Amino acid sequence: MTVLVRLVRYRVAVILGLTLLIASLTVSGFPSVTTLGLGLDRSATIGIIAIGMTVLLIARQIDLSVGSTFALAGITAIMLQPVIGIWPAALAGVLAGAAAGAFNGLLSVVFRVNALVATLATMLIFRSVAHWLTDSQPVPGTDIMLSLALSTVHLEIFTLRSALFVGSILLLHFWLTRTVAGRNLFAVGSNADAAEASGIAPGRTVFLAFVFAGTLAGVAGVLQSLTTNTGSPVFGAELIVTVIAAVVVGGTRIEGGRGSALGTLGGVLTIAALTTAMEFQSVPAYIQQVVVGLILILLVVLDRTVRPGPRTHAAAGVPG
Amino acid sequence: MTDVPIQMQQGTANERFRSGGPLFDLLSRGGLAIAILAVLIYGSLASPVFFTAGNFVNVLTSMAIVGIVVVGMTFVLVVGGLADLSVPATIACGAILSLALQPVIGPVPAFAAAIALAGFCGLMSGLLIGYVGINPIVATLGVGTIVLGIVQAAVGGVIVYGTNPDTAALVKSRLFGIPAIVLIFMAVAVVGHFALSRSYWGRWTIATGGNYAAAEASAVPVRAVKAGAFVITGLCAGLSGALLGLTLQSARPLVGTGYEFSAITAVVVGGVSIMGGFGSVPRAIAGLVFVQLLTNVMVLQGVRTPVQGFALGLLIAIAVALDVALRRRAGGAL
Repeated sequence: MTVLVRLVRYRVAVILGLTLLIASLTVSGFPSVTTLGLGLDRSATIGIIAIGMTVLLIARQIDLSVGSTFALAGITAIMLQPVIGIWPAALAGVLAGAAAGAFNGLLSVVFRVNALVATLATMLIFRSVAHWLTDSQPVPGTDIMLSLALSTVHLEIFTLRSALFVGSILLLHFWLTRTVAGRNLFAVGSNADAAEASGIAPGRTVFLAFVFAGTLAGVAGVLQSLTTNTGSPVFGAELIVTVIAAVVVGGTRIEGGRGSALGTLGGVLTIAALTTAMEFQSVPAYIQQVVVGLILILLVVLDRTVRPGPRTHAAAGVPG
Repeated sequence: MTDVPIQMQQGTANERFRSGGPLFDLLSRGGLAIAILAVLIYGSLASPVFFTAGNFVNVLTSMAIVGIVVVGMTFVLVVGGLADLSVPATIACGAILSLALQPVIGPVPAFAAAIALAGFCGLMSGLLIGYVGINPIVATLGVGTIVLGIVQAAVGGVIVYGTNPDTAALVKSRLFGIPAIVLIFMAVAVVGHFALSRSYWGRWTIATGGNYAAAEASAVPVRAVKAGAFVITGLCAGLSGALLGLTLQSARPLVGTGYEFSAITAVVVGGVSIMGGFGSVPRAIAGLVFVQLLTNVMVLQGVRTPVQGFALGLLIAIAVALDVALRRRAGGAL
C-alpha cells in the first residue's frame, strides 16, 4: 500500500517517465537534445498560461478567458508596432493582458459574479474585441527578422520562451512554498472565511491572482505573436482545454487550496511529450485527444480514490 | 462541491426574502419578462420585418437545437453540477452517428442509437462526478475529449454525409406552419419542466443542489440524482445533435462547438443559479428567448458579428452581477 501511495503521490513523475521511456523505445531519434528542445519550446505557450492558471486554481477560481486574452495581447503587441515601436508595443500587449485579468478580477471580487460565469462572459467579450480590432483578419508585424531572433536556440535546448517558462515556474515554486504571500494563497483557496478571520484579505488575493493569470496569458500571447510575426483574432481558441488538463494532471485541485508549481511543470511536460511522441508516430490528432483525455481522467480518479496524506497543504512542497 | 460556508449563509436568507423593497422585488422576479418585452418593442419599431410570423419561425427554428440542450443543462446547474462541457462532443456524437449508421441499420435505429450513445457518454461523466466525486469541469472536459476522439476515429476523422433524403424532409416538415424541429423542442421543454417541477426526481434534483448534506441526510439518492443530471444532458445533446445532423445532412466533428456556452449563457441569463438549488426550465427558456431575440434584432439591424459577441458577453456579466446584487440586497448571499 505504501508503495502504491508513493506511486500516486509522484504520479506525474511516473507518467512523465513512462511516456519518455516508451517514446524513446518506439520513436527513433526521440531522446535527442534537439527533440527535447523542440518539445519544450512547443510546450512553453501552454506552460506560461498554466503558471497563471495554477495560481488561480489554488485560490479556488478559474479563468476560461485566457485563450481570448492570449489573442488580444498578441494583437495589441502587433498593431501598436508601427505606432510606438516594437518593445513598447510588446509591453503594451502584456499590459493589455493584465488589464483583461483585472477586469475578470473586478467582476469576480467586486460584483461577486461566479468566476466560471464571469470568465465565460469575458471569453466572449475579449474574443469579440480581438475580432473587432482586426476586422477578423490576421495582422502582420513590422520586423520579420525578430521572429527568427526569438526562435534561436540557446545552450542547445532553450529558446527564449522555454527558458522563460522554466524560469518562471521555478520562481512560482519558490513563491508558493517559501513566502507568506504564497501560503496566504493556499489559505484563501481552502477556506476563504477562515483566511479572512486570520487577517488575510481574500478579495485582494483573488483579484491579484486574476491579474497575475491575465498578465501571464498576455506574455504568452505577445511571445506567440512576435514569434510568428502575426496577430490573429483566432489565436488560442483551443488552449483552455489543454491548459486546464496540464494543470490538473499536475495535481492541482480545481476545488482550490491544493496545487504545486513543480506538479504543473510535470503536467505540461507530460502532455508535451505525449503529443510530440504521438506526432512522430503519425498518430491521428483524434487518437491523441483520446489518450490525453484518458490520462486526465485516470490521474484525477487516482487522486480521488487513493488519497495520500492530509487533504490540504500536503501538496504544497511535494511535486505531484 | 457544495461547501459549508455557503450553506450556512443560505440558511439565514429566507426570513428576509422580501425586504429588498417593491422595486427590487419586481426587478428580480419580472426583470427578464420586462427585458424580453423591451426587445420586442424595440425590434418592432426598428425593423419592419421583425414582428412577422416568418421572422418568429426563423427565431424558433434557430433556438430549437440549442433549446433542447438548454433543458438538459438546466438540470446540471440546478443539481449543483456547475456545467457540462462535454456538450460539443455529445452533439457531434449524435450528429455523426445518426448519419453514419443510416446505411448500416436504417435511419430510425441510427437515430435511436446515436441518442443512446450520447446518453451513455453522459452516464460516464455522471458516474465520475456523482460517484467518484470528480469536479464536473474536469470530468466533462475529459470525457468530452475522449468521446469526440473515439467518434472521429470510428468514422475515420472525415465529414459524414447523409444517405437518406427522406429523413431530412421529415425534420424540415411543418405542422400548422411550425417546423417539426420546434415541436420536438417544445415537447422536450414541457417534459423537462414537469420532470423538474412536479416529479420526485425534480424535487430531489433541487434538494441536492440546494444542500447536498441535508438532502443526503433526508435519504435522497444524491449520487444518482447528480449523475442523472448529466445523463439527461447527454440524451438532450444527443437528440439535438441527431436533429442537427439530419437537418444539415452532413456532420463534421466540430459541429457542436460553442453550443455548451450558448446553453450555459441562456440558463444563466434566465436567472438559474450556478451554485445550484434554484431554477426552472421556463426560466432557462426565457433566458434563451431573450438571447435569441436580442441576437435576431442585432442581425436585422446589421450589427457586425464581433459587436454581437461583445454585447452577449456583457449581457451575461450584467445579468449575473445584477442577480447577485438583488439577492444580496434582499438578504441572501448568492
